[in-house]
Amino acid sequence: MGNWERLVWNQREVLLEGFLVTLHVCALAFAAAILGGLALCLLRMHVRPLRPLATLLIEFFRATPIFVQLMWVNYVWPELFGWPNSFFTAGWVALALQSSGYLAETFRAGIEAVPRGQREAGEAVGMGPALVMARIVLPQVALTTAPAIVNQFTVIVKSSTLVSVITVQDLMFQSQKLVNVWYEPIEILTATAAIYIAFVFAVSACGKRLSDALRRRFGIGSG
Amino acid sequence: MFSDALRESVDLSLFWDYREVMLSGLAFNFHVFAASATAAIALGLGAALLRVAQALPFRVLGTLHVETFRNAPDYIMLVWVHFVLPLLLGAALGTRIEFHPFASAVIALGLVYSGYYAETFRAGIQSIPRGHLEAGRACGMSERQILWRIVMPQVVRRMLPEGLNQLVSLFKATTIVSLITVPDLMYRVSMVTATEMKPLPLYTGAALLYFAVVFAAASLVRLASERWRRRILA
Repeated sequence: MGNWERLVWNQREVLLEGFLVTLHVCALAFAAAILGGLALCLLRMHVRPLRPLATLLIEFFRATPIFVQLMWVNYVWPELFGWPNSFFTAGWVALALQSSGYLAETFRAGIEAVPRGQREAGEAVGMGPALVMARIVLPQVALTTAPAIVNQFTVIVKSSTLVSVITVQDLMFQSQKLVNVWYEPIEILTATAAIYIAFVFAVSACGKRLSDALRRRFGIGSG
Repeated sequence: MFSDALRESVDLSLFWDYREVMLSGLAFNFHVFAASATAAIALGLGAALLRVAQALPFRVLGTLHVETFRNAPDYIMLVWVHFVLPLLLGAALGTRIEFHPFASAVIALGLVYSGYYAETFRAGIQSIPRGHLEAGRACGMSERQILWRIVMPQVVRRMLPEGLNQLVSLFKATTIVSLITVPDLMYRVSMVTATEMKPLPLYTGAALLYFAVVFAAASLVRLASERWRRRILA
């Protein structure tokens, strides 16, 4: 037990610091993925001239492995666009790209599930397209896609371990650094794995409760 | 400046010059994929059968397996299997054990995806109406016969679309094995980048190559599962 105390408990501040960086990266990536996913989805569905471009981007983001995207954003984008200029930014941007592709498809399925008649009813009472979208369509989309959105957040958390490869100092990075200092991987890596597993488990359990509660409160029909 | 960089990234001739190195790297991705897919499906079926078992200890064990591996990030599992598991096994057996990176990659990805497969199998198994099992028993079939002749054929048909999607995800996950020095495509790209100092065309080429493979596979899966669905629901 001495090893656990020396290598894990006494290093708790370093590990916590890493975990906070993980949270920071994931939160930024999640927020950007929701906005980006919504934008891609609306472009694909409602802006005819940009539809092929939006479709291409969605398919590219979805079908390229996250690690490949991370390396691509990290090494290619700075030369191509002069941005991102830090590893931290490259990390969350890459995570956001992939998830925005998945979320765009999730949102599209959610929007298409809203019956046409409701939109027509909105127009019939004099609402504009934007108002119909904001007041009638999107609230229902949020309800039906909540489980998939939470699930996507857990995917982001899992993928976020890879940003340590480009030296973002997240939990994975700190734990590997500790391993390199102490040369004792058993306790450190096991504890790190346990933290990730517990966190992802907690997020999905809370997310499931939340979306069930939302559905009970606002859901229509048997749902 | 911008147009030079753009031309350079679109000009993939450097990637093409190394095509043999890159393709043999991609072959490693396929090897890891095939081996870990086999492991994941076999382990996943085992864990699913544990989860639907009558005895409580089996159910607990199955649930523990699923919740651990389904919630674990691929990368930490990969590192854990490669650096910790050999030490633990070595201590248990009293010898020094080291895993070949390829073996670690297959074990880690096999374990993580067995968690996903277990859930898919379980959903399939639990969707079989009780009446089918009772009918099998009424005809005097043994439990094993019921499993393989009545339950599994239906389970496989029902889980096929999702199971195939998970195979595509598994293939995507194989790109991280370069991080424990399995010489896959990403590993080759980083090696060539270190000598050529031109990440732009190399990483773009790798991204496009992976995209082509995954997109083709995912499109085939989509097509196949639409057909399947129509046939099953008809």
